[in-house]
Amino acid sequence: MSGGSGNRTVWWWISLAAMVVMVVFLLYPLLTILTGSFGGGERNGWAQLLADPRYLEAVRNTLVLATAVTGLSVCLGVPLAYLASRYEFPGKSALALLPLIALVIPEVIAAQTWLMLVGNNGVVTRALRSVDIVLPSFYGWPGLIVSLTFTYYAYVYISTLAAIRGFDVQLEEAARSLGTSPARSRLKVLVPVIMPSVMAGALLVFTMVMGNFGTSSILGGKVRLLSVMTYQAAVAEGGADPVMQSTLASVAVGLIVIVLFLQRWVLSRGRYQVVQGRNARPVPLSGRQGWLIGGAAGAVVIVSLMPLAMLVAGAFTVSRGPVMRWGEWTLANFERLLLTNPTPILNTLAYSAVATLIGIAASTLVSYMIVKKKNLFTPALDYLSTLPLALSGTAIGIGLAMSFNSGWLHLTGTGAIVVLAYVIRRLPFSMRSASSTLYNIPDSIEEASISLGVAPVPSFFKVVLPLMVPAIASAMVLTWAVTVSELSASIIVYSGGRETMPIQIYKLIDSNLMAQASAMGVLLLAVILLPIFVATKLFRVELFSSR
Amino acid sequence: MGIDIQKLGVAYGDHLVIDGLSLRIEPGSFFTLLGPSGCGKTTLLRTIAGFIDAAAGRILFGDKDVTGLPAHRRDIGMVFQDYALFPDKTVNDNVAYGLRARGQDGATIRRKVGEALERVGLGHLGGRHPAALSGGQRQRVALARALVIQPTVLLMDEPLSNLDAKLRVQVRDTITELQREAGITTVFVTHDQEEALAMSDRIGVMKSGRLEQVGTPSEIYRDSVSSYVADFVGAANTVEIDAPGAAPGMVTVRLGGHALSARVPAPLAGSRAVLIARPEDIALSPQGTGGANSVQGTVSRRQYLGGKTHYLIGIGQDVALAVETHGDGHDRYMPGADVELSFDPAKTLVLAS
Repeated sequence: MSGGSGNRTVWWWISLAAMVVMVVFLLYPLLTILTGSFGGGERNGWAQLLADPRYLEAVRNTLVLATAVTGLSVCLGVPLAYLASRYEFPGKSALALLPLIALVIPEVIAAQTWLMLVGNNGVVTRALRSVDIVLPSFYGWPGLIVSLTFTYYAYVYISTLAAIRGFDVQLEEAARSLGTSPARSRLKVLVPVIMPSVMAGALLVFTMVMGNFGTSSILGGKVRLLSVMTYQAAVAEGGADPVMQSTLASVAVGLIVIVLFLQRWVLSRGRYQVVQGRNARPVPLSGRQGWLIGGAAGAVVIVSLMPLAMLVAGAFTVSRGPVMRWGEWTLANFERLLLTNPTPILNTLAYSAVATLIGIAASTLVSYMIVKKKNLFTPALDYLSTLPLALSGTAIGIGLAMSFNSGWLHLTGTGAIVVLAYVIRRLPFSMRSASSTLYNIPDSIEEASISLGVAPVPSFFKVVLPLMVPAIASAMVLTWAVTVSELSASIIVYSGGRETMPIQIYKLIDSNLMAQASAMGVLLLAVILLPIFVATKLFRVELFSSR
Repeated sequence: MGIDIQKLGVAYGDHLVIDGLSLRIEPGSFFTLLGPSGCGKTTLLRTIAGFIDAAAGRILFGDKDVTGLPAHRRDIGMVFQDYALFPDKTVNDNVAYGLRARGQDGATIRRKVGEALERVGLGHLGGRHPAALSGGQRQRVALARALVIQPTVLLMDEPLSNLDAKLRVQVRDTITELQREAGITTVFVTHDQEEALAMSDRIGVMKSGRLEQVGTPSEIYRDSVSSYVADFVGAANTVEIDAPGAAPGMVTVRLGGHALSARVPAPLAGSRAVLIARPEDIALSPQGTGGANSVQGTVSRRQYLGGKTHYLIGIGQDVALAVETHGDGHDRYMPGADVELSFDPAKTLVLAS
């Protein structure tokens, strides 16, 4: 045996280390949640769950909500994507904004601005009340469904758009040449081909709604939802219930796992490879048809953008406690946030910066090993790194809080646990982006470097890493944008003095201080948008490969 | 420096893909590993390079045992099928890469890079990125990059297979020229027999992890040791015949009811054997004029190719032979015509089946 190549040992040790880290920070918290549900002596969590109708109602409500929002998202997202890819009409460029909206508006802000519009004290509600029209309460089902649909439908839009753009129109033309009418050809040929992408987008929405905490908690009203009850079991003042929190978190994990398996099954049944693509030329629509379609698409975009306008207006409006004095402008809201308590802003910047750096470095390294340096551990690393997909933010928060509350690694009360939550939530996504880039870099590039006399590890840094830089840059910007608006995990693990901007916004909304919440929201958007702007305009980073 | 491979074994998991392979490659020679995909030729090349660990045996460059040495310390030059140029670096920086790794000073590097690119005819393209080059130019850059470090051995993994037919011949000539000039021991992997015959000093034909035959191009072509080699190196008619236990030398066999003299290069074991005759080694003549050592047949297909004609000729019921004719009137036989096929006993082989 030669076994002389020293590189093997280096990578072997690194993958062993990665394995240990993942087991400690990912697998162990998950197991803690699962085993925690069997605690509680005589009546373990599962017995309590089945005995109390409130819990079952919460599970049912969550599934109903997820189904409704997913259905509506498909109804909005698919037609919009079709219009955007196949037609030209007035105002089409506004549709290009949609992916950005999905990305940048944190859902807490979306929920808050809906309240400011049509909540009990909302602008529209009050205007209508003055002419004796009483709107039904926005809290509960109407608010949940409307707000969540407009928060998440863009995911369906994005994945459908990519599929339609990748579709070869020659297939449609072939169907037509064989004697089917244009409309039927489209239905018979296009629909089956884009179906997997639509389903993928829809199931993503489904899992996101199930895991959603911010909007559910702010707008839920009397509707019991799993994520909110889990949160309450975890942090209720004086009434925290460790057994129930892990039981409910386990239920959430189980539900998402089922959905993910469903998704796998659907995708494995219907994956078509469109070999050579010729894209459809967008057909210009003009006249009344153009305006009609443009108007409909525009309305969706406007509703999607409304939160932004409302937010900016609210941020500069004079308020006294919960009362907004619309029409009177001020900078006081910002002054208060920046001068009296800038801690949440500084925390967010620090935690997200650290989490982005750690997350990207770790996922680059680990996906490099998974793709290029396969060994005993890499299949396990591959599986472990997708684990967070099955965990809602709330579940991750509970897992971390339970696991590192005491003992040899005491993280509760530190900023590190927030950073950890960010890194874990984002891991599968940054891993996916890194590994798809790596698959596109042929092994021979690295071997060429080695053959020219550069050792394996320096070869990685000299020839592989530079090729990954564009992907790394875009992953960093996305990770930053997502982590600065993270709420559901951090709100469980944070402690006094460690508030982040979304947590602060949540608290301000809870105290009905909408003006200050808006100001914080504007600052949060600035924190999200500035790097995106710098990256895309100055460094020409491509954020959406689907475009 | 020559390459000496002694009883080499290579395993993927528990599966031995190369078992007990020995081979000597003379210093400064151009050696080709030839075989179909999956025969182990690329595995052998990558083991020589150090990208795959040997499970058994030794590899020596000259007197130096490199078996345990990692690839980057073997002092090899390698040319890849997909060029493997660093896409973010200019042509100059690609070629300079190995020199920089060897810590040479800037002036020397500039001079050597310039010379190397000049030699492959790309002196004017040093500032470009690989994406701005054609396939043939890219492979020339890859060649310059591998040669500029003056490696102990040059290893090439199907470097021509991504190029179109015309470029393939051009780059082939560049490679042969530069290799002769530099006198670097070279191992070249290909599945293209024409490439192998045209470029090599010696060829090793591989089959399932073993070397089936090693020899000069004409030995491989003229004195194939098996029907596998004969068939792989150039087109050959192979006909199963009866030839019970013949010793090396001339034998008489029967083909389509006619007696034929043929040559047996190596002892035959079983009772069945294979008659091998290359299409261009069979002469055609009108019926009744064939002379000694000929058989009768009927033209069943005729393909006119300009300077030559391909025929398919049926002999009896079961045998059809491909024949290629050159010279005056090479296209004169029409389908259905009865002809006589004459065989040169020295070029007609009987091999173990």
